[in-house]
Amino acid sequence: MADEVKDLRRLVIKAFHMNEVEWGDHNDITTDGHMTVSREMLDELVAAEEHIEKIDIQIIKPGDHDRWTNTMMDIVPISTKVLGKLGEGITHTITGVYVILTGVDVNGKQCHEFGSSEGNLKEQLYLNRAGTPGDNDYIISFDVTLAAGMGQERPGPTAAHRACDKFIQSYRDKLKKFKGEKCTERHEYHDIVRPGKKKVLIIKQVAGQGAMYDTHLFAKEPSGVEGGKSIIDMGNMPIIVSPNEYRDGIIRSMQ
Amino acid sequence: MGIGPSTKETSLHHFRDPLLEVVAEDTDLDLMGVMLVGSPDGNEDKMLVGTRAAVWAECMRADGVILSCDGWGNSHVDYTNTIEQIGIRGIPVTGITFNGTVAQFVVVNDYLDAIVDINKSESGEETDVVGENNMDRIDCLKAKALLKLKMRKKEQESR
Repeated sequence: MADEVKDLRRLVIKAFHMNEVEWGDHNDITTDGHMTVSREMLDELVAAEEHIEKIDIQIIKPGDHDRWTNTMMDIVPISTKVLGKLGEGITHTITGVYVILTGVDVNGKQCHEFGSSEGNLKEQLYLNRAGTPGDNDYIISFDVTLAAGMGQERPGPTAAHRACDKFIQSYRDKLKKFKGEKCTERHEYHDIVRPGKKKVLIIKQVAGQGAMYDTHLFAKEPSGVEGGKSIIDMGNMPIIVSPNEYRDGIIRSMQ
Repeated sequence: MGIGPSTKETSLHHFRDPLLEVVAEDTDLDLMGVMLVGSPDGNEDKMLVGTRAAVWAECMRADGVILSCDGWGNSHVDYTNTIEQIGIRGIPVTGITFNGTVAQFVVVNDYLDAIVDINKSESGEETDVVGENNMDRIDCLKAKALLKLKMRKKEQESR
């Protein structure tokens, strides 16, 4: 039985597609593909962060990219755990809309470490990559203005990510309650051992040098911030995660 | 230098990473896991964490390693060292990173014979366009095919 494949655990990711994103009184999503976005949380989010001066949100329709953007700090899927911990159980995620976090300081200095992507969005964003929205996706632009100079100090970008995460959490809380059978896509992933086959390790060298050059791991929610740990604070030492933990959004990219 | 907009891997990239899927779906391979190693600022730390990653790979008895690197320039100092440390331990290793024209390796060694360049811009430069020079599925398939070749070669040599 030496060659029998062993199935260690299962992760199910259920996607709910959003067909329409528009302004509304509150942040809301429904299983029939309707999303509303509100600015009602923004004052509270700004008040909670000493390094943040202002936050604005824009809804960007598919193709409507002929517009200014501040430098893109991250592109984030809206996903949440429904059952189990990261890497097993059930995760719900939204397709058709992604959040782009952008940042600048009050003096107009862009929030970046090495090269920045501010400018006309249609020229600064390459669509249809694994890490970028597709042609038909909506974008929610979450644009943070930091206090002077804070774009280059670790607490600045981290605060921007944290505020953005709280905004996303308002959708996660609703997404958690979606009935699984209403999903538009269902993906099942298994951590598998294949005895007798060549054992291959993937190593990913990730950012760990400082402000806008950081990687967070182990947040409570997929691609989340709350509860995450910075790889810088862990001495940049190698850490192993299971394939399912990785594909369940164990990394929040902060570079 | 570090990570430019065109190469940087967003949180969405990690959520839908083609490298993981390409290796995980291959029934000829037993994917052990994904190791994440930071790229520190100081040279001494770069050597330290990369060497620890190589020791891990050896102690796990990995038959092969694919090493990807988010960023270039000084990030290639640790990247090339990690590849060398894995190579010295007799473990076949291939890599995926951005080289183009501006990011040729600043340090070289004997184990850089199977690195896939993910540059996709005409000029081979950091274009500041988010996502442009990201790895895609084809890059990952190349790195996997190269690794399979290296692992087979090692097996034949040891017979």
